[in-house]
Amino acid sequence: MSGPRFDELIHPATRLSIMSLLAAADWADFAFVRDHLRLSDSALSKQLATLEEAGYVAIERPLSERRRRVRARLTPLGRERFQGHVAALRALIAGGPLTTA
Amino acid sequence: MSYPNEAEARLALADVEQARQRVIDRIGMPWWYWWGLAGCWVGLGVLNDAGVAAWLLTAATLVVGAVHASVSQRLLGGRQQTGEVRVRRDVAGRRSALLVIAFLVSLVALTILAALALDADGAGHPATGASILVAVVIVLGGPQVMAAIRADAARRAVA
Repeated sequence: MSGPRFDELIHPATRLSIMSLLAAADWADFAFVRDHLRLSDSALSKQLATLEEAGYVAIERPLSERRRRVRARLTPLGRERFQGHVAALRALIAGGPLTTA
Repeated sequence: MSYPNEAEARLALADVEQARQRVIDRIGMPWWYWWGLAGCWVGLGVLNDAGVAAWLLTAATLVVGAVHASVSQRLLGGRQQTGEVRVRRDVAGRRSALLVIAFLVSLVALTILAALALDADGAGHPATGASILVAVVIVLGGPQVMAAIRADAARRAVA
């Protein structure tokens, strides 16, 4: 379990929601994330690209039922940073000390 | 840098929990699994009462068992109801698959007990009767088992 570590990259609401969905899953289909967060394809692609660039998310393209799917999963680094960020939010509420990623 | 205030942190955490709950809501097994299992159960019961050769009944049971093992390998525990998302094991609960297995084992016991009771009562087709009873339990009870797993996952998320 990570210590409290506020992460500015994760904190914006949309990216936090994406990270939260992926944190509860081994992987999630692009359409699942898009539909649950009510984002457009381009908006989600942009956010995923940012998270992928940071090394927090991995994008996979398995061939399933003769059509390309796009799946996203948290990387170990992304999971660690997400847990640290959630711990930081809890520490903020509790009035504890914080560090920044 | 400026950190969010307490109210903003609470809102962010609420968003985190809401997203987790959306994934938890996907824990389940497809309807066709329960209906298929119920159908096979009745089929085996009917075969048993029809007086078919022992080897045929054994072969049918083995085929059903093999197909079930192959299908349930992916589905058991409800982590991947569809191709949209696979719920993490620690979110679904490490015991979710065991709970489903325990449910299936109890169905076998219920079938035997019901068939013995029907036979003792003089029913003409005890295995068929018992399997129909258990098929109803499968179709109605299976989704309830998954609902219990979802509720348990949600409780652990909040805790």
